[in-house]
Amino acid sequence: MVKIFIDEKSFEVEDGITVFKAAKEAGIAIPHLCYHDAFPPEGSCRMCLVEIEGLPKLELACSTQVRDGMKVFTKSERVVEARKGVLEFLLAEHPLDCPICDKAGDCKLQDYYETYGLFESQFREVKEKREKKAKIGKNLIHDEERCIICKRCVRFLKEVTHTQELGIFERGIHTSVNIYELLPVDNNYSGNLAQICPVGAITDTDFRFKTRSWLLKKGKSICPLCSRGCNISIEYHPGFPHFQVPKKVFRIYSLENPDVNGFWICDLGRYGYSYIDENRLDRIMIKKEEQKIEPTWEQSLQFIAEKIKGLNFLKKTSQIALVLNTWLSNEELFLIHKIFKSDLNVESIFFADRPQSEGDDILLTPERSPNRRGAQEMGLSIQPVKLETLATKTRLLLVFGSSIQDQFSSSDIKKVLDKIETKILFASHSNDLISFFDIVLPTALIAEKGGSLTNVEGRIQKFSPVFEPSGDSLPEWMMLADLGREFGINPSFYEQLKTPEAISIETEKEIPFFREKK
Amino acid sequence: MIKALGYFIEIIRGIVITSRHFFVNFFFRILNVLGIKTKRKGAVTIQYPEQRKEIATRHRSLHRLMAREDGKPRCVACMLCATVCPSECIYVEAAEDPELEMQKYPSKFIIDIGRCCFCGFCVEACPEDAIRMDTGKIELAGYSRDDLVYDLDKLLK
Ligand code: SF4
Ligand code: SF4
Ligand code: SF4
Ligand code: SF4
Ligand code: FES
Repeated sequence: MVKIFIDEKSFEVEDGITVFKAAKEAGIAIPHLCYHDAFPPEGSCRMCLVEIEGLPKLELACSTQVRDGMKVFTKSERVVEARKGVLEFLLAEHPLDCPICDKAGDCKLQDYYETYGLFESQFREVKEKREKKAKIGKNLIHDEERCIICKRCVRFLKEVTHTQELGIFERGIHTSVNIYELLPVDNNYSGNLAQICPVGAITDTDFRFKTRSWLLKKGKSICPLCSRGCNISIEYHPGFPHFQVPKKVFRIYSLENPDVNGFWICDLGRYGYSYIDENRLDRIMIKKEEQKIEPTWEQSLQFIAEKIKGLNFLKKTSQIALVLNTWLSNEELFLIHKIFKSDLNVESIFFADRPQSEGDDILLTPERSPNRRGAQEMGLSIQPVKLETLATKTRLLLVFGSSIQDQFSSSDIKKVLDKIETKILFASHSNDLISFFDIVLPTALIAEKGGSLTNVEGRIQKFSPVFEPSGDSLPEWMMLADLGREFGINPSFYEQLKTPEAISIETEKEIPFFREKK
Repeated sequence: MIKALGYFIEIIRGIVITSRHFFVNFFFRILNVLGIKTKRKGAVTIQYPEQRKEIATRHRSLHRLMAREDGKPRCVACMLCATVCPSECIYVEAAEDPELEMQKYPSKFIIDIGRCCFCGFCVEACPEDAIRMDTGKIELAGYSRDDLVYDLDKLLK
């Protein structure tokens, strides 16, 4: 530990760290463009200049190490003047097309100019025209005019993906970032470039021109598209009710979590968000023959509870079958385990998930669902569905999610389902399966509910709703707690499970894995 | 009783004021009609709609979108007007013109005049001088609320 003074306040910091990090820990923000916590300092933008007592020139905070007794000034007149100067050079060739720049609002250059700049440019020369729309990757566009040559993108491709598609070409004022001869940036992490570019030089076609960043609301969540459980920020527009424009998710940004995903997310998670808004199932659907009940939550859940009660009374719970998926949260899987395994001794519990696919050695795992580990730790063995088994003795079938259609053809599923007396589907999206079931209940997505997920490494991560569930849908844990209460083996137990937290406390009590991991 | 008296006194006062205005106006108006120039104009009303007052240059009337030389809107769909609008009555959807270098243009631009409070913030926010409120159109009534929703075509005219 060494003692340093930043802006005349003293701080104890670890030896060997940089002035920038020391200041950050002390809660003092130093403007920076090229520095990124993920990489070693580069020192190319000069935005982080600070004054250090005893040194004749200003120093770079991002690459200067702390010394015992060092006196750093981050707001002195010289520093502020120097920042202005740096900005003036950075902006000398900058197009300042903020009105049409997708980074505007999140742009560091824009922010620093607001804070330190606000000068009339002294450059009288006409700005040079450069390529504004270079397609450098499958969904990336590079604007050479806006690029400040901070090399974050180049370093990312070198140090994270090791693919090195981008390089720096030419020198001096002609320096530019570009791809090597027709080899575009084409890896599963390319979307991170648009996020880490401190200005609007790299933008992605997915977000390009769609909206403005300040119009978006943000919510923390967990990416459910593989079992890594990357921390994400879901950025959405709440909609314009006066113009009948509904809520819409516009982009996913990664959030920093050194234990899980570092700073990055893969493109599958970044661009695969359309499922949140598209083709959602918004209402309870009841088949004609079941018209006696009304499509309300009370009536449908009561109907299911009555069926379960009946079978339980006849000691025929072996005629109940469940098809689960590992998009269900720990809390939901716990309730299922509790109700169907412990209370009712149901044996036919199967899983139908999206088919596994290729992973990579950065973040993406082969599993295409977020909570496989959670299901295993819950004591549910992940057996795949066998249609024949379902067909033989089942009278009540509860299916969570629609992934059985990824494994069997609709006609096969229909044939089997026709033999089953009562079948219920819990689904978030409308699809071909819906018409085969007696009752279809709309469910909320991870982004719309609370709970926790266990990632591939066994880390339990909590999430809370980012926005309201679409239409009439409800989170599965709510329905399950209701079911538990209705069919009544131990109603008082389910009575108190009013929040995911309450369920999670019970999970920890009963299942050692969750207690230890807490 | 006393209260009721006060009431009548006020009514009489009102009648006196109104009649004074009437007769003074009447008098000067007749002089004016007879061609006798006086400082006072007499009647202050004008024969709207045949006769119209000149609208001050700073007056904020119905919006219009400015066009470029080729007829395309000058607007770059930056959505600053929609951001600043306190009545949330502007809706812009952007699109990319594949031909021109990096041209963002509004594929939809809607102003719901029925909600607009004519504050003029949109005009001030616009970095492109693409929206103005200088059409001089002040009769904006419509037969339905939908008549008051102005889209790109209507605004560009
Ligand atoms: S990169 Fe930043 S400063 Fe440059 S045009 Fe975009 S928002 Fe403006
Ligand atoms: S494209 Fe962006 S990240 Fe890459 S060097 Fe230019 S400004 Fe930096
Ligand atoms: S004048 Fe004011 S209320 Fe009307 S559209 Fe413009 S900003 Fe909105
Ligand atoms: S502020 Fe101007 S350029 Fe921007 S969207 Fe509105 S009218 Fe178009
Ligand atoms: S942040 Fe230090 S030089 Fe760029």
